[in-house]
Amino acid sequence: MTNLFVIFLSMALVNNMILAKFLGLCPFFGVSKKTKSAVSMGLAVLLVMLVASAVTWPIYYYILVPYGVEVMKTVIFILVIASLVQIIEMAIKRTNLTLYNALGIYLPLITTNCAVLGITFINVDQTYTFWESLFAAGGAGTGFLLVLLIMSGIRERLDLADTPLAFKGTPIAFITAMLLGLSFLAFKGMV
Amino acid sequence: MNPTITVLVLSSIGFFSGLMIYVASRVLPKEDESLAEAARIKEFLPGADCGACGYPGCFAYAQAVAHDKQVFVKTPCPTLAQDKEGMKRLEDYLGLKAEATVGKKAVVHCTGGSHPIAEYDGLQTCAAAVQLSSGFNECSYACVGFGDCVRACPTGAMSIDEERHVAVVDWETCIGCGLCVPACPQGLTELIPANTPQYLACNYQAKRDIPGRKRCPDGCIHCHICEKVSTEGAVTWDEKKDLPIFHVDQIDTAIEKCPRHVIRKTAAYEEKEAEAVASTQESG
Repeated sequence: MTNLFVIFLSMALVNNMILAKFLGLCPFFGVSKKTKSAVSMGLAVLLVMLVASAVTWPIYYYILVPYGVEVMKTVIFILVIASLVQIIEMAIKRTNLTLYNALGIYLPLITTNCAVLGITFINVDQTYTFWESLFAAGGAGTGFLLVLLIMSGIRERLDLADTPLAFKGTPIAFITAMLLGLSFLAFKGMV
Repeated sequence: MNPTITVLVLSSIGFFSGLMIYVASRVLPKEDESLAEAARIKEFLPGADCGACGYPGCFAYAQAVAHDKQVFVKTPCPTLAQDKEGMKRLEDYLGLKAEATVGKKAVVHCTGGSHPIAEYDGLQTCAAAVQLSSGFNECSYACVGFGDCVRACPTGAMSIDEERHVAVVDWETCIGCGLCVPACPQGLTELIPANTPQYLACNYQAKRDIPGRKRCPDGCIHCHICEKVSTEGAVTWDEKKDLPIFHVDQIDTAIEKCPRHVIRKTAAYEEKEAEAVASTQESG
């Protein structure tokens, strides 16, 4: 139990997907202009990470390992995640329109998100058990959501601040990301 | 590593994934009909996403109409209501008749007659200029003319009169969405019913200040003459602002008698005039 909790916390804060592993940087800059869309994107990533981990783990250990074709994991994981997201999007669109309006347009964006693919590889590399990989995915998704939320809050305020003309927009966002990364460095050594 | 097995594993997983998507699309309940219907209704809407109907955008309004057609009857799209032909097309499509509503139009309560008393060289927006002691004009209620309302307007009905540095509204293109109202830091823009024939082009509110004549050659001097010469109820007095409020009744005498000529006629005035002429010609 403690082990699971430690994995969750380390994936969320210490080994944060965006700020420590530099994965999923495109949504980090692309969707962090508004808090509302940032939260939607973060929740969608969390959901897809959980489902992707739950599905790729058995595929890896019950199909790829017995046939000795572990090298194929990249292409197979991409294939599986892409079709999974298709099914999830379809299911949400047809059953819950409100949820689809909130998350829907972000789901197709995630099909090839490197953070999602990254968490499945981390699960394999660390030789996590099924439950461990689920907690790792939950932690990674939560960390992603947290950083996106912080970044969008800062950027919303930055829009109102009197930034030098040369730094307006994306440049100041890069500098903010750097400072945010530095502050997350403080979690190192916690776990 | 056997290449045959590699190919087999990849293709079978690919095949299985495709199969799952197919099964999911068959098993899951059908897509909500109203969504496709809403997309068709949206084709008839102006697509300005102005929010005047009370919904967050044209598609949200279309969804509400697709869900319950009575929404269209009770609250027809106020922007579309200005366009009789477009309205007719949507009415024909839905097979319903919308309740007649009088739309709204924006007016700017300023003539731009007040002169600048200081040179302003800061940020070229109204919001910034007004932060400094309510603008740089002699009248602290005046339009500063940097066009925050022009930028807020989705249809381009707002423009700045370069000569007088004041915002003017083109009623032909104004759709009455009201986005200019919060945009004006001086509170000069207001929505009035589209059939109001006149409005006061001044917002000088100071109750015990020396009347407007000192600040602006056009300003209201709070003389109450418009209230006195008009029929009962046509003009009411806003005690808080110390300014008259005009209603839908036409007040020709007051427009003439106003010592500052600050009561402006709207497009609705000319329309009524034309109607009156037409009706006398018919009867004669």
